[in-house]
Amino acid sequence: MMLMPPFNLHHPKTVEEACELAATFLANKESFDWVAGGTDLLPNYKWHINVKTHVISLANIPGLDTISMHEIGAMARLGALTTAENVHPLIASAASKIASSLIRNNATLGGNICLDTRCFWFNQSEDWRRSIDWCHKEDCGTGSDCRVIPNQNTLCVATYQGDLAPSLMALEGTIHIIGPNGPRSLPVDEFFQLDGITRNVLQEGEFVLKVTFPENVANRTGSYKKLRVRESWDFPEAGVASSWIPGDPSSLRVASTALESIPRSHQEEVDALGTAFSKEHIPQLSEAIMKSIKPVNNTALPPRYRKSMVRVLAKRSLREILGD
Amino acid sequence: MAGGYRQQPGASSGEVRKDGKRVAGKQKFPPPGSGGSRPTMAPRDLDSIPESVGGKEPQPAGSHIHDRYRTGTEVGKPRALVDSHAKVTGQAWYGDDVRLPNEIIGKILRSPHHYAKIKSIDTSKVEALPGVLAVATGADAPNTFGVLPVTKDEHAMAVEKVRHVGDLVACVAAVDEATAMEALNLFEIEWEVLDPVFDPRKGLEDQDEPIHWRGKYHVGTTNVQKRVFQEFGDRSLVDDPTASSHGKWRMEGVHHGFTEPHAVVAHWDPNGRLQLYTPQQVPHYAHRALSTVLEVPMHQINVIRTFVGGGFGGKSDPFPHEMCAAILSRKAGRPVRINFSREEVYWINRGRHPSYIEVKMTADEEARISGFDIDALIDGGGFASFGHVTSYYNGVLATAPYELGSFHYTGARVWTNKPASGAMRGHGAVNTRCAVEVGLDEMAEQMQVDPIDLRLANLLPPHSRTISGFRITSNGMREALERVRDGSDWDAKFRQMPLGKGIGIGCGFFISGSGLPIHWDPNRFPHATVHIQIDMDGGVTVHTGAADIGQGSTTAVAQVVSEVLALPIEMIHVRSHESDTSPVDLGSYSSRVTFMNANAAIRAALDIREKLLNAAWEMLGYHPDVLVLNDRRIYYKHDPAVGVSYLQALHKAQEDKGSLISSGAYRSPPMGGVHKGAAAGLAPAYSFSAYVAEVDVDVETGLVSCTNVWAAHDCGKALNPLAVEGQIIGSCHMGLGQVLSEKMVYGRTGHLQNPNLLEYKIPSVHEMPHVTPIIVESSDPEGPFGAKEAGEGPLLPILPAVVNAVYDAIGVRIRELPLTPDVVWKAISAKTKSLGGIDETELPSPRLEHSSLQATLVARGLEHKERDRRRQRSEDTSAYVNGVLFGFDPDRPLEDQVDGWKSAVEPVPEQLAELGLAGKAWLKKEQRQMGGDQ
Amino acid sequence: MVGKEHVTMIPSAPKTIWSATVNGQDVQAIAPSNAILLDVLRDEVGMLGVKRGCDLGTCGCCAVLIDGEPRLSCLCLAGQVEGQEITTVEGLADGAHLAPIQTCFATHGGSQCGFCTPGFLMSAEALLNENENPTRDEIACAIEGNLCRCTGYQQIVDSIEAAAEIKRGDAPAPSPASDPHPNPHPEGPDEPSMPPGHAR
Ligand SMILES: Cc1cc2nc3c(=O)[nH]c(=O)nc-3n(C[C@H](O)[C@H](O)[C@H](O)COP(=O)(O)OP(=O)(O)OC[C@H]3O[C@@H](n4cnc5c(N)ncnc54)[C@H](O)[C@@H]3O)c2cc1C
Ligand code: SF4
Ligand code: FES
Ligand code: FES
Repeated sequence: MMLMPPFNLHHPKTVEEACELAATFLANKESFDWVAGGTDLLPNYKWHINVKTHVISLANIPGLDTISMHEIGAMARLGALTTAENVHPLIASAASKIASSLIRNNATLGGNICLDTRCFWFNQSEDWRRSIDWCHKEDCGTGSDCRVIPNQNTLCVATYQGDLAPSLMALEGTIHIIGPNGPRSLPVDEFFQLDGITRNVLQEGEFVLKVTFPENVANRTGSYKKLRVRESWDFPEAGVASSWIPGDPSSLRVASTALESIPRSHQEEVDALGTAFSKEHIPQLSEAIMKSIKPVNNTALPPRYRKSMVRVLAKRSLREILGD
Repeated sequence: MAGGYRQQPGASSGEVRKDGKRVAGKQKFPPPGSGGSRPTMAPRDLDSIPESVGGKEPQPAGSHIHDRYRTGTEVGKPRALVDSHAKVTGQAWYGDDVRLPNEIIGKILRSPHHYAKIKSIDTSKVEALPGVLAVATGADAPNTFGVLPVTKDEHAMAVEKVRHVGDLVACVAAVDEATAMEALNLFEIEWEVLDPVFDPRKGLEDQDEPIHWRGKYHVGTTNVQKRVFQEFGDRSLVDDPTASSHGKWRMEGVHHGFTEPHAVVAHWDPNGRLQLYTPQQVPHYAHRALSTVLEVPMHQINVIRTFVGGGFGGKSDPFPHEMCAAILSRKAGRPVRINFSREEVYWINRGRHPSYIEVKMTADEEARISGFDIDALIDGGGFASFGHVTSYYNGVLATAPYELGSFHYTGARVWTNKPASGAMRGHGAVNTRCAVEVGLDEMAEQMQVDPIDLRLANLLPPHSRTISGFRITSNGMREALERVRDGSDWDAKFRQMPLGKGIGIGCGFFISGSGLPIHWDPNRFPHATVHIQIDMDGGVTVHTGAADIGQGSTTAVAQVVSEVLALPIEMIHVRSHESDTSPVDLGSYSSRVTFMNANAAIRAALDIREKLLNAAWEMLGYHPDVLVLNDRRIYYKHDPAVGVSYLQALHKAQEDKGSLISSGAYRSPPMGGVHKGAAAGLAPAYSFSAYVAEVDVDVETGLVSCTNVWAAHDCGKALNPLAVEGQIIGSCHMGLGQVLSEKMVYGRTGHLQNPNLLEYKIPSVHEMPHVTPIIVESSDPEGPFGAKEAGEGPLLPILPAVVNAVYDAIGVRIRELPLTPDVVWKAISAKTKSLGGIDETELPSPRLEHSSLQATLVARGLEHKERDRRRQRSEDTSAYVNGVLFGFDPDRPLEDQVDGWKSAVEPVPEQLAELGLAGKAWLKKEQRQMGGDQ
Repeated sequence: MVGKEHVTMIPSAPKTIWSATVNGQDVQAIAPSNAILLDVLRDEVGMLGVKRGCDLGTCGCCAVLIDGEPRLSCLCLAGQVEGQEITTVEGLADGAHLAPIQTCFATHGGSQCGFCTPGFLMSAEALLNENENPTRDEIACAIEGNLCRCTGYQQIVDSIEAAAEIKRGDAPAPSPASDPHPNPHPEGPDEPSMPPGHAR
């Protein structure tokens, strides 16, 4: 059995209580993690990766699991997202492609957004990582180098493989955060932050409350294409989501995931198209998106292949929203 | 029916408890004299009694010597596994479910280095940790062991050096898991790190420090563990071929992926005997190795096989962790339980060898296969395991089902600093089989003939001999091919589907039990023994050592005993878990269990049957020849009312004796050639299979999905069709994994990058095609009721069928497994580039325009079909050896007929220069030939 | 192998009393605050039918029903399901009566080595509780998180289809798996059936 190192699990009953707990730990300089469904955190803990002394569970806080067209709570289970009637079809379809049906019943939206970055030099047991003398992301005080791009001690290029982020971006989601210093919100596009260790803009003690979508989100059609070897379990090796309000080229949004340390909005490439979007633009846009990303070799499939596939995924996704 | 007994629990009861639960029902049980749950005798099930003895079961393949023991009770009927209720209620006890009072937890310290000498181990800090109850290192168990007596190269824990990351270094037992894990970090070890070897091709070269040292038999100072050379036939036939194929393959290592991780519990009982609980496929070898390593006589060890959560070859070696548990338990004086994480399962490995395989083949102007030239370099990892045998199997199991003009094989297995490869379902045959079948497809294309017709016109017949001297008895290859061709609508699809859709064929050939037991002389001791014991209650206890690993061997044994004695299967109780009570059995490997064990069981049952019939004779006055056994009753053939119940006959037979006891054994007939290595691949029977697979290839992404498989397998006689179909479909799944997604990834640093089930990609339910299992019954003359194996052979054809189907879909031949999307995409890109940079969607699909050879093949195939039918039914009993197709006389030695007819097991010096990759192993001399001998 | 880099395992996290309803019974167990549900169920509650195949969410052997929903117990903190209703494979049968899904796994080849079976049974049971008439595709989606290395899934899907039929009442509950003859009092044309044990 993969016994986890000791930690204390806490079960706050309200958002305030959670913030207070966090504040206390911060004040005492004690380390802690949030846990939602645990399907990402627990494997890491079982591998003895970045284990903290305290873990705060968000599972017992009521009201964090709302699901509607315009708002999804951080604790909404992915399983529920796939079957809920009032959720945007793009979210439902992207959620249904995540992990397996069993995992989706544990996993949550918040955990999916805040997913840790992944790398095959890193997502390994303690013994395994010891055998390669660790790596930069969890160097255990040894000052180890990154195993993917060596000779630089400052950057982790582990891959962000969350499935939902690009769809949330394509639907112009806003993420709502709360912490000891109060709430704040920002576009999902701005939530993620390089590098593979930093991951996102969450300050210590902050956690995600919910994601909301603009009024007109129901008018959007969207499509998410995921590259994976098996249709169950597998994380995306590349993923592209796109969405628009049919007929309105200015509303076109495209985002990708699983290619770099953060998911990426491709607004720049979309804007380069000018004010038009039709079938003829697809090859050009897909090509531009492909060129903009730089995958590295730390997932199951080789980076050159993943890069080339971005074009195919983008093309298919864009075609689908055009109804082609 | 007065006063029947009642048995718990039964089918239904009207009563309902207060909480809404139904009360456990009671089941009517008939009065003494019967046993079983049926109150009256059932009529004979004539549909399940062969024609040859007056029943209605058709026998297209002819009659069988066991026909007269058929009672229509069990054989040929779809049956739930006898232990299935334990499995569906969660009561089946696997390795980690054994909980003994006072148990403690063992943990293993594993090497962080690929290759290193252990200069010293200091355990003082470990021992000082409160809660640690025992510590052991290699010094505690210096004796070597290994599954094959010729290659005992393993220790319980590393003695001098570690040979791969994850190799065992030491172990501890502590009061709980956390303490044991903590303790692992307190060992202080001084290492001398050595240069590792990962690439098997490098293993062929001389090293400063070979991974093992074989003394005078060591090949140079290389890491070659075993090399094989075999050459048979007329090599001149390969000159001026009409078609030829030359393929160089790279196949990654794959793992069994059984769902139950290894686990073991060791307990020295108060009498000082070791009770060892382990999910083993081959408890007997573990038993022997434990005795050697622990230096305790075998009779002081009781190996208890728990339920086995899948084996597939991966639980058939004696394992070092079994020794560790025993050593720790002996030291601590308490039961020790060790259970593996999934990562540890990959460290112990024993999966299929990563291989470099090169196959050259040729066909002559009549589309006869004039030569196979196979070279297989296989990566053995750190230990020998079954590798000695694997090295042979990679070649010799390609000598059928086709008739060959010549056969040339060079194989080498090298040690590398990786977890050891070993035996896995389809042992040694899978990779070469794939290469060979794809080569045939290519030759068929060159000759513009249908690949199925090419095969049908080149098959060895039943009752023949292969080029290397294997004795083929029953042979359902032709029927298998014909049935998948019909089932899949092949003729309307092959080379006719649009781009991205493809269909392909592949065949398979596998041993049904290995002819020679590993540990003893088959002329003196049997392969398998089964004991039957019946006491006054009438219940039949069958003792066998056969290890049920989910394939249903316990069920098969129960079925044949039930069939012979005409008793309902619930009266047969199989005891197979403990070595104390089970006769020695060689275990579940080489697809031997049904064939050998069921044969032994039939013999034991026949002994009992004779005793019962004699008793009935005494009581009824009718000779056994005119007595019929049917459903708990023995009666006079011509007047069923004249008879005795089973229990009456039993009690009669028991007078003066008490319990009825019998013992049956199976021994294989003498067979095979005399050349070195002739025993490898020898089997009392062989299974044959043919699959057609349909695939969809996404030409833009390279993703291949297999949508449909028609899978025909000749298992001789399906004792339990449900189980045979389950084996066929399960084999498809496992083979599909190897061909599409599974591989053990060793990265640039030689580390296994994917020791988990997320990145080691076993197909999920979504990747499974619809499989149509087709059972072919060729009725093997020596098989139990005609049965042969169905557990391993069905895996072989799926790989080439898929690879050939991918070619049919996109016109690109890929010789790299698995066909992950990136590999396929790369091949597609190369092809589109070579065609001037066309779009993937414009790739030309391969098409077939029959040449004149097609008609020749069809005619020959038809002729051979009649030949085979007559031979199968023994209407033609003339000799047939490989070579007849090429005009040789089977009754005279082939050597006398052609000058060049070869049978060589070592290369002659002139050949050395032209040998393939693995053949290079022959460039080195053995130490004894070099004057070295240490 | 000594190093500051090691993550310490002892002392273990403080123990707490964990309570839940397991297979209809209120149970209490003493477990560390960071305990995983799978470990508590196996080691403290004694439900050894819940299997550990990978410990990382990739095999489904450890699936249990939590408030009727199939979830992986290896990726679930025991503390998070405190007080909830948990069903394991041991809770499927109604006393001595096997649930249809159990019988059908036996009769249709859904279980070979059986190690994956408890997990599949839980996924299947949850599906059939929601949907008595699932298509083969729906069945596949319900069991996509369960790995089986023996059966190739096909006979598992067959088993679930067969159980659905029984649940719907379209098929009778099968006779005990050990009885190959459906009719205990057959009258065959070939030979008269007769009571055993009455020899002349
Ligand atoms: C076998 C397997 C396959 C998987 N396949 C996929 C896949 O295909 N696609 C995919 O996207 N994911 C996959 N996952 C990852 C994971 O299951 C999902 O991403 C899931 O959504 C994570 O949610 P969770 O609630 O379980 O996260 P947790 O494990 O609870 O949390 C994940 C991380 O987010 C943090 N966190 C959780 N909630 C919050 C919050 N509200 N605010 C701030 N931080 C928070 C946690 O501290 C932790 O660091 C897979 C996991 C496994 C084990
Ligand atoms: S990308 Fe580099 S630093 Fe980051 S986890 Fe992988 S090896 Fe470690
Ligand atoms: S043990 Fe939980 S999914 Fe494998
Ligand atoms: S029956 Fe063995 S893993 Fe499913």
